[in-house]
Amino acid sequence: MQNQFFIAPVYVLLFSFIFFQNVKALDYKAYGFIQPEITSFLNGDGRHNQSNKNFSAFAKGTFVTYLNNNNTKITVNSIGRIDDNDDNRTYIDFQKLKYELFFNDITFRIGNELIFWGVNESFNIVDIINQSNLAENISGTKKLGQPMVSLSYFNDYGSFDFYLMPYFIERVFPGTKGRPRLAFEVDKNNVIFESSSKKNKVDVAIRYSTVVDDFDIGISYFHGNNRSPNLTFNNKSFKLNQFYPILSQTSLDLQSTKGAWLYKLEALLADNGGEKHFSIAGGTEYTIYAVKETSSDLGIVIEYTFDDRNDFAFNDEGVIALRWTRNDINSTSILAGVLSDLGGNSNRFFAEFEQRLNDDVKLFIDASISGNIDQNDFTYAFKEDSQITVKIAKYF
Amino acid sequence: MRYIKLILLALIFFPFSLQADTAEGVGLKIAKASYENGRGFTDMVSDQLMILIDPKGKEVIREVSSKTLENLNPDDGDKSITFFKTPKDVEGTVMLSHTHISDDDDQWLYLPALGRVKRISSSNKSGAFMGSEVAFEDFSGTDYRKYDWKYLGEKIENDETFFILESFPNYKNSGYSKRISLTDSLDRTRKVDFYDRKGELLKILYLEDYELYKDKIWMANTMRVENVQNKNMTIFKWLNRELDTGIDKKDFEKSSLMRLAD
Repeated sequence: MQNQFFIAPVYVLLFSFIFFQNVKALDYKAYGFIQPEITSFLNGDGRHNQSNKNFSAFAKGTFVTYLNNNNTKITVNSIGRIDDNDDNRTYIDFQKLKYELFFNDITFRIGNELIFWGVNESFNIVDIINQSNLAENISGTKKLGQPMVSLSYFNDYGSFDFYLMPYFIERVFPGTKGRPRLAFEVDKNNVIFESSSKKNKVDVAIRYSTVVDDFDIGISYFHGNNRSPNLTFNNKSFKLNQFYPILSQTSLDLQSTKGAWLYKLEALLADNGGEKHFSIAGGTEYTIYAVKETSSDLGIVIEYTFDDRNDFAFNDEGVIALRWTRNDINSTSILAGVLSDLGGNSNRFFAEFEQRLNDDVKLFIDASISGNIDQNDFTYAFKEDSQITVKIAKYF
Repeated sequence: MRYIKLILLALIFFPFSLQADTAEGVGLKIAKASYENGRGFTDMVSDQLMILIDPKGKEVIREVSSKTLENLNPDDGDKSITFFKTPKDVEGTVMLSHTHISDDDDQWLYLPALGRVKRISSSNKSGAFMGSEVAFEDFSGTDYRKYDWKYLGEKIENDETFFILESFPNYKNSGYSKRISLTDSLDRTRKVDFYDRKGELLKILYLEDYELYKDKIWMANTMRVENVQNKNMTIFKWLNRELDTGIDKKDFEKSSLMRLAD
């Protein structure tokens, strides 16, 4: 978040400059939402003697405009949160703050961008461009904008994307009052990089993606600061030091869509600070449409991930989930399942309910319940952080 | 000799004319003419307004806009992009669809919350579009080759003569066992009765506000669907429809979804 605050004024200047060059009638769209949330923790004060409830408010705003006969696009997409307990969870981030130029088969972009690679529902192992905000959500699916210059070229054979990322965004971890959090605080002031350029190392990435009949294929290469730091215990500060190695990663993502069956695969070979590893994740998703002649759909998702690093958190995990979609006016849906460590004996249950209350208000209820958690499992730190969160989003 | 030649010719063409005169042949001919009535648009841009009305008369409005690219290859389907506008929680979502005549359609969804493009299954033919009484197959199944046809005769309603056609979907996962449609003397489909898988009448579609574009293409600007089973109604209106606008066909590829995002 600090990095973003530092970078934002530069962007604002750049964009104001661009705007003043094109001050004719501006055709734009702007939309967003604010979302108050309340979380109740079911295990009292938990392992770290924390508050058993939390109030929070999340907001997102999107602004898009096309200029110069639709050959130029400006996108601003900012998210932010104010959190009652965790200072690390109070932030503003520009997930997208970009200026795009479209040529016939080339797109040039400069600014903050949100890029997703992969096909899986749960184990997005090849997704590497954007940094995760673990204070926002411990699962790492919530991302921070990545400053970059990028070029996309596409022809009949597919799409080629080139990325240059001149500035590194550090991972955000929950603070001491954040719940769930790791057993010790991650020290923001004790960050070491393998690269001598540290945060200013220019990360590079290349991706080729294409569609061949039922197959969606992506092949990617990334070289730069790993988004995931190695954490080591500092016995003086009693905090965790962060070390960001240099990562070179070659990956494949593949989806085959055969009627109601989706087959998904992600695989990577990587060199992380001189140590090589291999990882694979994939699974299947099957949906029964119009269950028993009703409008409802019922889907099942099964995914598995393997990593050859024994000390890696997700080295032998599986997830099984059911998704029920009512297809009604209010878009009611429930996703519920269990995440299991197949090598150990730990599991966690999750459920997500959502329903529109009226045209511009939507209700979300998320639950995460710890099952059995092994003492040596990394999630043991948040064993007593079973929670239910109610969110109400008001859209503008 | 001339007569013998004529008889021979007649014999050669007899089987074809016989085929055309069967109920199936006539049905297919009318269905084809009706379909071709709406072809030749090259591309189309429009805003769509959907009014969902429940049995108590309570209305909910949904808005999307879309671009369609006509496939000039007669053996393959059109491509379209749908931009979701309301309800506001789906604003920024974009759907790309490549339809096929004899195969499953290809569909991708851009999800703004994750900045992610997902390939999705297109098997839910009978699924409701945005909670309305319009099913996905009602949009994707407009090609006459997706049905087996039968001509049932003529009917006069409000001083107008209509051809009655019966059609049976020949693709998988349809929610319908059959449809009965009325086509007017200008080959425009005006009304369709849909029967569910059990053979019961499910809904009635009225195609209204026909407009002649480019002096040759008839398109209905209003679609009214009355579900006779759950008593819901959906009114689907096309606004600001423009044809042959010269959209770049590259816009209709998966790699362009990120350009069109948000």
